[in-house]
Amino acid sequence: MRLNSLLAVLRREIRGIAISLFYVAVTTAVAILLRHYVGILRGAILYLVPVMLAGYRLGVIPALVAAIAGVLLSGYLYFAQLYSFKVASPQEALNLVLFMVVAVVVSHLSSQAKQHITIARKREREMSDLYAFSRRLAAAPSAAEIFVAIQEHLAALVQRKVVLLGTSDAGSGEDVPESVRTAMTRVESDEGRERTVDDGKGNTWLIRRVSPRSPDFGLVAVDLGNVSGAPLAEMRQRIEDALADAAATLERLDVARALNEAKMRSETELLREALIGSVSHELRTPLASILGAATILHNAPALAKDDRLLALTAVVRDEAERLNIDIQNLLDATTISRQQVRPKLQWVEPVDIVNAALEHRRRRLAGYPVTLDLDSNLPIVHVDPAQVEQALVQMLDNAAKYSPAGSPIRVAARASGRTVMLSVRDCGAGLTHEEQRHVGSRFFRGPRHAATTSGSGLGLWIAKAFISANGGKVEVDSAGVGLGTTVSIHLPMSAEEIMPETEALDAEAMESAAE
Amino acid sequence: MSEVPASVLVVDDEVQIRRFLRTGFELDGFQVHEAETGADALRVATLKPSDLVILDLGLPDMDGADVLERLRSWSSVPLIVLSVRGSEDEKVRLLELGADDYVVKPFGMAELLARAHSAMRRQLRAARGEPVIKFGPLSIDFAARAVSISDQRLTLTPKEYRLLQLLAQHSGNVVTHQFLLREIWGNEHVDDTHYLRIFVRKLRRKIEADPTQPRILLTELGVGYRLVASDPPVTQADAATQ
Repeated sequence: MRLNSLLAVLRREIRGIAISLFYVAVTTAVAILLRHYVGILRGAILYLVPVMLAGYRLGVIPALVAAIAGVLLSGYLYFAQLYSFKVASPQEALNLVLFMVVAVVVSHLSSQAKQHITIARKREREMSDLYAFSRRLAAAPSAAEIFVAIQEHLAALVQRKVVLLGTSDAGSGEDVPESVRTAMTRVESDEGRERTVDDGKGNTWLIRRVSPRSPDFGLVAVDLGNVSGAPLAEMRQRIEDALADAAATLERLDVARALNEAKMRSETELLREALIGSVSHELRTPLASILGAATILHNAPALAKDDRLLALTAVVRDEAERLNIDIQNLLDATTISRQQVRPKLQWVEPVDIVNAALEHRRRRLAGYPVTLDLDSNLPIVHVDPAQVEQALVQMLDNAAKYSPAGSPIRVAARASGRTVMLSVRDCGAGLTHEEQRHVGSRFFRGPRHAATTSGSGLGLWIAKAFISANGGKVEVDSAGVGLGTTVSIHLPMSAEEIMPETEALDAEAMESAAE
Repeated sequence: MSEVPASVLVVDDEVQIRRFLRTGFELDGFQVHEAETGADALRVATLKPSDLVILDLGLPDMDGADVLERLRSWSSVPLIVLSVRGSEDEKVRLLELGADDYVVKPFGMAELLARAHSAMRRQLRAARGEPVIKFGPLSIDFAARAVSISDQRLTLTPKEYRLLQLLAQHSGNVVTHQFLLREIWGNEHVDDTHYLRIFVRKLRRKIEADPTQPRILLTELGVGYRLVASDPPVTQADAATQ
């Protein structure tokens, strides 16, 4: 066993030993020449030169071999009888022992010095690499840049192939051994955070997530070459450090960006809402003056005889009213997007809501024959009447807007299953299949109407928001282009039994009538 | 109209609103006083007693409700509130405090005049103690507690009659749910709007030609009811076209 390991060491060091013996041979040649021309020297000290050289350049074992060879040769060359291995006197023996000790110490020292220098250089290079990597990470404007940096840094670190996978901008599809691919899919599907796999050619690959916390950052596969044991552990540690640094930067970058965007979004939103709110309010006061004045002018005896002037005052009045509706929609939209729709629920007669909405849009609907289909016996509903009315008004506006003048509009209030349904049916433009999917989204307007009909794309969105706040839903239905549209509000019927209670009230009333 | 022109006090901080209201009322034969602030309004109201007050709620110095309360402490002058949409609670509060009616800005002059005349007539009638009031085909004889429609006697339960009576006493002007509930069912039922809904439905079946298209007993959504003489009251500037 010991012999085996000794042989193994010798095998590994065979090249160094050969070179160190060569050094010793050269030294011996030099010593013989010196002796020949210069005369006898106390030349054992000469052999410290190959020992130091071997220790510095080749390591401890070649240096030891050089020292032993040096002792033997100096004994042979210098002591007592020349050119014999015999040691004649105790003094000579002591000299040889001292030489051996000095040689060993020197060889050790020089080998250690070499090691220190090597390590220091390596450290320095690693530090500067890591520093460059950090700087590159810090300066990286995008995740893509970071991935490139990770890949290059790791490749430089291990001097082998590095593959990044699983991010949209990282390199993929490179030729990676099959076993590594399989391991990558395993790690990706969260079977493990990190694994090593042999590629079948004696190389070990390390596969792990770039960041154990964020799967989004993808995977990295590093070809570590033919290593095991301590060097493998060290390599893993260094890769781990580099990735931790990179992941932190990635996170910082993403988080910072997300925060920035959110902040900007909310500030823009707030500003817009504040603007809409204050503008709407500021517009309404002058609007009240305009509308009031227009109605007085329109009734003024001085204008009564001139139809053209009357028509003009009607324009002022009607447009002021339209503006008022637009402002109202903006205010409603602001309320909705601030999520401040708070229904004030009370018991309401459904037909009253329909009549109020029709009353509010009487002039808007003047050119359209409106037919009514109102069930006078509907259960009363528990809703915010103003909000439901506003939703219905939006539907009436849309019916008028997307129908030719003179085309009939049908308004119904009926029971439908467990709901009370308020519906507006027109015979106008209808909806394509595509429009039907998008209608009621905020700011959605059918592209084919964009040029011909003005509108904000808010109406049905407002209606839907108000109705859903009141526990109901809005349905939009159209048989197709040119075939009209039906929009229905479904309000929940109360689960409470209202009717029997009021029957009791009535009985009480009849009793008092009989008194 | 009497020989002496009726006078109106317009309380609004917006000069343009006051200007058109002045013109509108003057064209209708009123003499117009103006006030810019609540304090101003109370001062003018004592110095120059008016037959009608138009009170804007958005005054710079005082809450509209305070002005109304102080005014009501010594005067029963007919008063119409100028309000904004979406403030049903506030409207109800002011009506409860003694406002006769409200209009929502922006409004047409005709609508405001209709409300104003109703409020003034009511006070006149209250002063005279008229025994019979007619609302189109509907006639109510307070003395005989008799109600007829197109000269046909109707049978009403006492609560139906009470409801109709309360509305008729405020003819033309809005009456809040709370007031009706309190007067008919008592304080503890002031939030039971469903009582009212059912009774109004029953009453409409008796007095309206088409209960789904009421012409006499109208709903002020979220606020109350209004009994009117003929056509439904106009909203916005509708009357201008008629």
